Formats: sequence, C-alpha cells, structure tokens
Amino acid sequence: MVWVLLRFRLRRDRLQLAIWTVALFALLLITASAMASTFPTAADRAGVLRIALVTPALLVLRGAPQGPGLGGITVFEIAAFQALLVGLMSTFLVVRNTRAEEDRGTADTLAATAAGRTLPSVAALLEAVVANVLAAAASALGLLAGGLPAGGSIVFGAALGAAGCAFAGLGLLVAQVAPASRPANGWCAALVLAAYALRGIGDATGTARPATLTLTPAWPSLLSPIGWVQATRPYASDDLRPALVALAVGAVAGAAALAVLRIRDLGAGLLPQRALRPAASPLLRGPIGLAARLQRGSALGWGVGALLLGLLGGDLADLVLRQLGNDPAVSRIIVRLAGGSTGLVDGFIGVIGAFVGVLAAAGAVQGAIRLRQEEAAGGADQVLSGAVGRVRWLLSVLLVAGTSAAAALVVAGLAAGAIAVTVRPDGAAGGFGAWFGTMVWQLPAVLVLLGLVALVFALVPRATVPVGWFLLVAAAFLGEFGTLLDLPAWLRELAPFTHSPAVALRDPSYAGAAWMTVIAVVTVGLAALVLRRRDTVP
Amino acid sequence: MSAVTAVIEASGLVKRYGRTLALDGLDLTVHRGEVHGYLGPNGAGKSTTIRILLGLARATSGRVSVLGADPWREAPRLHRRIASIPGDVALWPALSGGETIDLLVRLRGGDVRADAYRRRRAALIDTFRFDPSKAAGTYSKGNRQKVALLAALAHPADLYVFDEPTSGLDPLMEGVFLKEVGVLAHGGATVLLSSHLLGEVERLCDRVSILRAGRVVESGTLDELRHLTRTAVSFDRGHLTEADLRRIPGAHGVVLAEGRVSLALDSDAVAAVLPALGSLGVTGLRVAPPSLEDLFLRHYGDEVPA
Repeated sequence: MVWVLLRFRLRRDRLQLAIWTVALFALLLITASAMASTFPTAADRAGVLRIALVTPALLVLRGAPQGPGLGGITVFEIAAFQALLVGLMSTFLVVRNTRAEEDRGTADTLAATAAGRTLPSVAALLEAVVANVLAAAASALGLLAGGLPAGGSIVFGAALGAAGCAFAGLGLLVAQVAPASRPANGWCAALVLAAYALRGIGDATGTARPATLTLTPAWPSLLSPIGWVQATRPYASDDLRPALVALAVGAVAGAAALAVLRIRDLGAGLLPQRALRPAASPLLRGPIGLAARLQRGSALGWGVGALLLGLLGGDLADLVLRQLGNDPAVSRIIVRLAGGSTGLVDGFIGVIGAFVGVLAAAGAVQGAIRLRQEEAAGGADQVLSGAVGRVRWLLSVLLVAGTSAAAALVVAGLAAGAIAVTVRPDGAAGGFGAWFGTMVWQLPAVLVLLGLVALVFALVPRATVPVGWFLLVAAAFLGEFGTLLDLPAWLRELAPFTHSPAVALRDPSYAGAAWMTVIAVVTVGLAALVLRRRDTVP
Repeated sequence: MSAVTAVIEASGLVKRYGRTLALDGLDLTVHRGEVHGYLGPNGAGKSTTIRILLGLARATSGRVSVLGADPWREAPRLHRRIASIPGDVALWPALSGGETIDLLVRLRGGDVRADAYRRRRAALIDTFRFDPSKAAGTYSKGNRQKVALLAALAHPADLYVFDEPTSGLDPLMEGVFLKEVGVLAHGGATVLLSSHLLGEVERLCDRVSILRAGRVVESGTLDELRHLTRTAVSFDRGHLTEADLRRIPGAHGVVLAEGRVSLALDSDAVAAVLPALGSLGVTGLRVAPPSLEDLFLRHYGDEVPA
C-alpha cells in the first residue's frame, strides 16, 4: 500500500525532483571548478583561508575552513549553502505531501481508503528519503566531475543526504503542530534558516587553528543539521558519525511526528485554531487590504530576517576592522571576496547589503507569486467579481509585496547603521548613512525582480511559481558568488544586485539604480497591459 | 423591445479554450425583473457563460451586454450593481467567514457600517445558522457555500448571477435560500440562476434557457416549455381496449408493454385527465411528475445508451 502511494507521488513530483537533482549537481560542479581556476595553488587557497579564519562575517556566511586542499576550500565555500537548499527541499516536500494535501482535502480521500491516516505521511517521509538519496548522489557526482577525490566527495554527498533526512523528519514534526500548510512552510523555512544561523554562530565563535588552516566550530554548530554536514570533514577526516546522528534525528523526529498524527485530526494542527473576528476590520476593505492581510505573515518573517542580518552585519563590521584593518594585502583579498569595492569596510557593507537585498527580494518574489496562487485558487475571481479591475488587483498585490520588501530594507538599514555607530562612534565601522543607504538602495534591484515575476505571471501564468523562484535563486547566486567564481562579467551583470549603488563609497553611481527603476516600471506596465487582455486561468 | 428591457443580452457567443469549444454561438436574453433559469448538465457551458457575463473571461467572438455595458471592458463599474455566487466557491483559508462576507460586500462598493447592512447580515446569519468567527479554511462545503450566499444576499444589487448556488447545502438550507431568492424576485430584482436541479428552477423561474454543448437549445417561459415537462402516467391495462385508451384526452406516446399502459400528459393537464381515468376504472395508477431526466432526455437522450 505504502509503495502504491510512494510510486504515485514520485510520478507526480518527478519533474520537480529532476530539477532539484540537476541544480544540486550543477551548483557543486560549478563551485569546484571555479575554486580550482580561481585559487589554483595551495598558497592561493591558504591566503584566502588565513583571512577567513579571522573574519567572522565570512565564517558566518560560508562555513568553517577545512584546510587548504581544493576539496577543503570547496566545502568551506558551498557546504552550508548546499545543505540549506537540501533542507528547504526536504521540509517543503514533506509539508506539500501532508498538510497541503489536508488543506486541499485530498488527504481525506486517501484516508478513506485502506491507506488510512498514517500511511500517506509514511510515504511522504519515504519520498523525502528518495529525494535525498538523489541529492546525495548528485552532490557527490558534482564534486567528482569537478575533479575532486572520490572518498571525500562520497562522504560529502552522504552527509548532505543524511542532513536532508533529518530536516524531513523535523519538517514532518513541524507539520503536525502548525495550524495549516502555509504557516507550516513558513515555520519550516525558519527552522532551516535557524539551522544555518546556528551553524554560522558556532563557526564564527569557534577555535581557529592557523597552523592547519582549520577551524573547530563552537557548540552551537553541533546543534545544527547543517553543522553536522561540515562535521564529517570531507576530504580531511571523512568521519561519517555526524551523518549517522543526522539519520537518527530524522528517524526519531519522523517517529514522533507519526505518533502526534495519531492524536490529531486531519486538517487541524496540534495547536488549536483560535476564534477569529466575526466581522472585518476597517483595514480589510479592498484589494490592498486583502493583499496585506494575506502577505502579512510572510512579510513579518522576512522583516525579522532582515533585522537580524542587519544587526549581525553592523556588529561584525567592527570586528572586521579591528582584526584586519591594518594589513593592506589582507584588505585587498577581502575586497575581492566582497565584490570589488575599494575599501575594507565599504566592501563589507556591500556584502551584507547584497545579502539583505536578496532577503528582501525573496519576500517580494513570494508576494508577487501570490498573484498566481490567488488566481489558481479562485481568490482572484472573487476579487474581480467585485468592483475591482484586473490592473488594480495586480497593482495592489505588487504594491503590498514591494512595500513590505522596502520595509525590510529600511529595518535592516536602521538596525545595521545603529549598531555600527554604537560599537564605533567614530564611524570607523561605517557611518549610519553608509549602512542605511546601502541597504535602502537595494530597492531598485528588488523591484526589478518583482516586475519580472509580474510579467511572467501575465504572460505564462502557470510558470509563475517555478520561474519566479528560479529568477530569485539565479540573481542571488550570480550576485553573491559571481565575483568569487570569476564568472564572465556579462553573466554577473544579469543579476540586478550587481547594479545597486555602492553608497558607502565616496562617489557612488546611481545610474544602475535609475535604470533598474525604469525596468521595474516598464515590466509592471507590460504585465498590466497583458493582464488586461487575458482571462483568469485556473 | 428586448433592447429596452434586456438586462443580459448575448448573441453568437463563442468561447474557445485551446482546441476545446466551450460556447458555440450562444444566444441568451434575460429581461429586467425576471428570474431566469439556466439549465444544463455539467460541461454544457453554464459556468463559462457566467464567467463571460461577469467579465472574468473574454468571449472569442460574439456580442454580450450586461446592464447595457460590455462586461469585459467595464467589469469594475458593473460589479457595483451585480451580486454573484461562483460555481466553485473559493475562500481565503486564513480569513473568518464573517470577514470574508464583509470583504466581498466592500469589494462591491457596499458600506459594511451602514445600519441596513448590519441588520440584514445579522438576520441572514441567524436564518442560515452560520458561525462567522471560524477560519474559512475549516468550513465544510456547505458552510463555504453559505459564505458566498450571504455575501451575495446581504447587499442589494440590480442583477444577481448565481452559478449552482445550492450545491453542498442541505435540503433545509436549500429551502431557506430559495425563499430568499423569491423575496428578491418579488422586490423586482433580476436573477440568472444556473442549475441542473429542475425542481429548484421550476419553483422560482419565470423563464428558462436550456443549454446543450455550448448553445441554448430552448428558451422561453415555463408555460411555453411545458411541453417539455410532461408527466409520466402508467396503470394496469386490465380489460381496457385501445378504443378506451383513445378516449383519454391529451395523452401522448401511449405504449402498451408487460400488461401496463404508459403515456405522457402535459403537466398542467393532469388534474383534468384524472376524472377520465377514474371513469375507466384504472388500477395500479402511477403518476410521476416531470423530472430533470424527462426534460434532458428530450435534448440529451441520444447521448444516453438505451
């Protein structure tokens, strides 16, 4: 019975699984080859790692250095990010096959058959295991194809797959508690990001060993499934015990989730639904009020993320300065890592600013994708059956998405600027204006992505969700890793974030921002024109 | 004449979805102040027509006017005067039922703080025994339907467009809804009621249009269409002769089989025929009122295997 369910789901999700597998393979292949060409000799790599060891921001954003081997630096560069992706893949997959089906009602259909209430969740876990076996194989092959030794590549793949299984079990547990599938997805994303952050804190506060160019993370990393991937130390000690821990955690969490499933009703989380207002508040009066209501949960999540990242960035700037400020050679490499700005702190502000920009853009893209979700679910028709035209509805949803992204940037800018001038009142860690301006000026880049998603929605509605997220991931990848991986300039410059004004510099150029604003306005305008002429499609 | 009194006027409507032809030259006229039944089985094009009338979909060709305007171009303005219930009620799971009702009324330009609205809303919530404080995601199908019904009924409109409005309602609530529609009709509102339930339509509608494969195949008042809804009558043949049977007034399609006589009577003539049957002394009399099946079989019979 469980095999019937599993086969059915694998069949339904085959395209999605194939895309994940190929993407995970490609990401590691590109990273490994780029590392080999950018840092060809052990001396090059040692230089970078020496800086990384004393730069908490790099440790937080990348990982714990594992020695100057080509494999080691590849793991340092990409392991945490790859594990983050696998975590999102695993948790979303589990929620999609459990709570989302309950919300749609298809879970009732299954529960009424001999499958009962439990087997569909067991099948969801098994599908997550299959997905992670694929992810593990794809990752190991990607590293092998990038020219790295077999042993470490296999260990890395296995560790990654095991971490994915841990996330799948934890995700199923979260799915039992959350009131519905949408919050469950939000909580799962928060869980995976928390695992990433926990590992970041552990790595940044770990014990550096300059002699071997390695770092032993502090205890917070050991609480994170992403930390366990690093702890296997591929290409160094190839220790699979942390991966076994991950598998055990996944199994225990999955068993706990199935136990909870026995005591809860289908369609309801463990947390009871609270009674809602029986009448609408004055705010819920039109398409803007509705969009704000629908997006407020996710907007709040992205806002909190931006706030934390802003605080972290502003705080770390001082450390960067103190530890490295007097060494011009070191500064040059940091600047290169940061994407080619002129000064150490300026470069650092730019790196953090681009990260905050990606975070805000993720919120904006998620908001714009609502257009399609509302259209497919029938909510758009309900709004359009009122005295609301298609263009007004489109602009309302985009306005709320853009405004909440702008609010996230402002919050991050205020937090980072305030912290930076608090820890260094002399302004050496960057002035308030530099921090605030850098973050707020990410808005044009965010709006370009918003406009592109809107245009895709108008032209090819059914592709909105996958293409929207793809655009975000591609922009983030090119913007964050483009310089470091020595990608050709034309490719890097496709990412809107590379055109955000470097406000921290003495004489920043705002031409890119102006162009991006024009592009955003034009794409939204085109989307409105196209939408005026097409039916809503289910 | 219809140009003056027609609230809905469609002629030669064609709608294609890729290679599927959903509407194939549809003509439909709904006059001011009438309750118009729109009948057809699943897939005949009822919902497609309604989506075009509401400006949610654009006709591939043909002309359509609702309240004197083109619904595709002027949907927002028109929707201030139209209350509609979609065939597939979609709600926002996180909003409560009460919030949804208020929002939908506001989207039509209604003032939810007005006393008249609040009284009407409270009365409807009471009549329909509806709990407005639950998240819409937790409602049953019937309760989701009630949200759409209440939002449509709570704020007055010139035109009501209902797409299978009673689906999912229990018979009690169906009765309550049909009574409310009767009140609307009495107040002079125009109603387009799409349904596949003949009883519902027969009880309420002044005029009826029957849809088949994207075309209206019959349209008229119920009296005009009465010939479609004959009552089936059967009784034991006993000792009756063919001459006896010929004396039954208004009998159509008399068939003798397995010792029973089956025939069809115009529904409004049944009472007048009963004395004749009585004088013949028939036994085992069975009178089956016209059903949806009878009506459809006339138009769809060739699709049903004999």
